[in-house]
Amino acid sequence: MTYKVTEDGNISTIFLDGEIDMDVTEKAKEIIMPLIEAKKEVHINLKEVQYMDSSGISVLIESHQKATEMGTKVILKEISKSVLKVIMMAKLEQILNLD
Amino acid sequence: MSISSNLGDKIAETRDFVVNSASLKEVRSFSREVFERIEINQDLKDELVLAIAEAAQNIVKHAYKGIENTEDKMEIKISLSKDNELEIGFFDKGKPVDDAKVRHRNIDDIKPGGLGTFFIQQIMDAVVFREGEKPWINHLILTKKL
Repeated sequence: MTYKVTEDGNISTIFLDGEIDMDVTEKAKEIIMPLIEAKKEVHINLKEVQYMDSSGISVLIESHQKATEMGTKVILKEISKSVLKVIMMAKLEQILNLD
Repeated sequence: MSISSNLGDKIAETRDFVVNSASLKEVRSFSREVFERIEINQDLKDELVLAIAEAAQNIVKHAYKGIENTEDKMEIKISLSKDNELEIGFFDKGKPVDDAKVRHRNIDDIKPGGLGTFFIQQIMDAVVFREGEKPWINHLILTKKL
């Protein structure tokens, strides 16, 4: 997994790339969580994520819940077909903010 | 190590992997290689790869919980019978799995974790735990009629 972060005012956009599994979830959390703790609105762009497993979904849930706790939000952007399928399998399409 | 056998099966491929999270990528590559040889649609291939990777992840996370830097290997065998019954066997030497405790969380209780087993059950027709034959401790069998 590789990533890039861009800033636009209070919005931080994280562009993730590659496959997100248990091996990279700690790294993903290290990127996402400090931005949420800084009360940024975090956009996670998933266009280039070809694979995500339950560990990756757990990071999305954790991020969503942390953002709610901090009074901000996480929005998932340009979700790839394969990631959307896993989100729907987990029945989270009504829970997470999908754009 | 990879072993191929055509005795009675259309496909029978076995490979072993060091039990750690870095191996999960290799597990997916192996699964994709095998499924390239089976005429099923890409969506189903992706689902099967996910189920296999989740089961392998469960071995790393649960059977080897608290055991780091092990050199132990897990073995995965993917076979397809002549009547298109797909069977995926997982063998490991970790802590014995208590079948009764292997449950996914309530899917409506939104929290991180506990989804891997749910995905496996959604994708496969059957999930069976057996005591492994020596030298294995656990033997998990996932099946699906293709």
